[in-house]
Amino acid sequence: MPRIGRLIKTTTFRLALLYTALFAGSVGVLFIFVFINTNIFAERQVEAAIQTEVQSFQETYQRTGLTGLIQAINRRIDPNVRTDGIYLLTGADQVRITGNLLSWPNNFTREDTVADELWVNFTIVDMQQAGPDTADVRALLFFIQGGYQLLVGRDIRDSREFRTQLLRSLNIGIGFTVALGVLGGFLFSRSIMGRVERITQTCRRIMRGDLSQRIEGSGTEDELARLSESVNEMLDQIERLMRGLREVSDNVAHDLRTPLNRLRARLEVAVSNAVDPKEKAELQEAIEEADGLLSTFSSLLRIARAEASLKRSFDVLSLGLIVENVADLYRPLAEDKDIAFNVDIDFSTNARGDSNLIAQTLANLTDNAVKYTPDGGSVHLQVCRDDNKTVFEISDTGSGIPPELHEKVFERLYRMESSRTSPGSGLGLSLVDAVVKSHGLKLKLSDNAPGLKVTLIFPDVAESGLPA
Amino acid sequence: MRVLVIEDDLTAAGFVTKGLQEAGYVVDHAEDGQKGLDLALSEPYGVMVVDRMLPGLNGMAIVQQVREQDIGTPVLFLSALGDVEDRVDGLKAGGDDYLVKPFAMAELLARIEALTRRGKGGGEVTHLSVGDLELDILARKVMRQGQRVYLHPREFRLLEYLMRHAGQVVTRTMLLENVWEYHFDPQTNVIDVHISRLRQKIDKPFDSAILQTVRGAGYKLEPTD
Repeated sequence: MPRIGRLIKTTTFRLALLYTALFAGSVGVLFIFVFINTNIFAERQVEAAIQTEVQSFQETYQRTGLTGLIQAINRRIDPNVRTDGIYLLTGADQVRITGNLLSWPNNFTREDTVADELWVNFTIVDMQQAGPDTADVRALLFFIQGGYQLLVGRDIRDSREFRTQLLRSLNIGIGFTVALGVLGGFLFSRSIMGRVERITQTCRRIMRGDLSQRIEGSGTEDELARLSESVNEMLDQIERLMRGLREVSDNVAHDLRTPLNRLRARLEVAVSNAVDPKEKAELQEAIEEADGLLSTFSSLLRIARAEASLKRSFDVLSLGLIVENVADLYRPLAEDKDIAFNVDIDFSTNARGDSNLIAQTLANLTDNAVKYTPDGGSVHLQVCRDDNKTVFEISDTGSGIPPELHEKVFERLYRMESSRTSPGSGLGLSLVDAVVKSHGLKLKLSDNAPGLKVTLIFPDVAESGLPA
Repeated sequence: MRVLVIEDDLTAAGFVTKGLQEAGYVVDHAEDGQKGLDLALSEPYGVMVVDRMLPGLNGMAIVQQVREQDIGTPVLFLSALGDVEDRVDGLKAGGDDYLVKPFAMAELLARIEALTRRGKGGGEVTHLSVGDLELDILARKVMRQGQRVYLHPREFRLLEYLMRHAGQVVTRTMLLENVWEYHFDPQTNVIDVHISRLRQKIDKPFDSAILQTVRGAGYKLEPTD
């Protein structure tokens, strides 16, 4: 079901839903308009028919008097003639003279009173002779000279029925409109989402470092196909740029290192030619300075390369072994400083990456921990699994890094005031940062009270793309 | 021994040539790829030092062609490109060692010496001995003056490497690359600490030192008499 949940959240589905609502709304308005008009029309027709009849009765009365009127009414209510008319003629005493209504209805509601005529609505349960047994009646009550009252009506149950039918059809119509709209939106967004999903997947693979990936065409020429095409072109461009960057950095490495190399070579020749020991020592120092410069330079290049390292070339590595080797390299150094050097390794831990870069990252962190921990302190290295992630943690009891500098220490060539006097280029953590970024790791610095704790979280090997 | 240096940078080439000559090698220099290839195919050399980036024919292509002619002369690549991938590419192309510029002359000499002495003796070596120091690779046993010396696995590998290159200068970078398989520079010189540990075990209890420090270059395992 999460798929459907995701589907509902898509823009396409929401748009489809919005359009469905708008469409259903306008259909509704149209239906209401039709309904009201039909209603009014039906009512008017009934009223017009009644009025015509009343008029003709009036004329009959004027021409032939009461007897003629009674005859005319009786003709209308002849049981052999089907009629939907309802008639009642009473005297001034309200006693029935003739009509198909047995008595004066007592439950009628009055509407507007106009001089000698009155519109009424009532229902009847029982009727004399012809006509339906029950009826909803709309009628005109008319006063004739001599106190006679004439009621002429029509059973409007049929038109009521028609109205209910109409209303029901309209409701069903709107229901269908909404249902079709939602279903259409669902299908439509699912097809769109499938294509967007393919684009997203490809982009993810590209972000993981496989720049050779391209979005497959769908064979259509719609906006998504055009978007895919643009993304592909952009990727071509990025790939070209990346290649260009690599070439430039290769060339810079070559072009700048060569003169530095010559400088170093000349200094070495000078050292071997020098006779004066003082001069020799000075030249030796100059060589060391040149070496420092070169090492900084190659560290910068290395960082640039680490940042651009592509996950395509990554392997699944046993992080436990790497940590063991690094610990092995630094243990004697720690022991010389009388530092308690503890290592906890879970050898089932894996990580995906460039083994040399990962090793250097861990070595740089260990180097720092040992370097900044005072004699007699302790350094603790740990590799363990947390869910499917591999976590490397190194904590020391050194001077630590104030929280406000946690970001800053990863900047290139940055060195804390307190560490300016100790050896180092200020590039160790920059390399760590570059590897963290290119390998998709998470890095956290925290206070070990006292000291520093660095946590590196490696993503699940299975999730970091490419088969294990 | 004759060494062929193929290097387009004349200053660097001059420095290498001079250094090698001082160390007793006979040096031929080619300043471009084509000339270098011609020499490599026509003259017998003990070692070839080849720059990876050359005008015309590049270093990798030269070595590939030399190898295609069944010439097994050890090749040491010089390159400003120090990435692991570059190194792997170089070794795949038929190189035997890879040295990143800039380098100290001592480093180059140590590596050339290691290359020229390599492969002599032939067969799988299971027992090494230098002076009164003996190392049994299969039994992982070290004896000096008939006395058992107990080493950690890493110390054992370190000593084994030093003994395989006994009498030669071995640089810190060579140790890091071959004993630890690391192709980066640790910020602190940790190798010195490991060497001093080893010394504590193989030298200190005995009357003579066998593990020597070569100033400005590295270390050398050699009995002092």
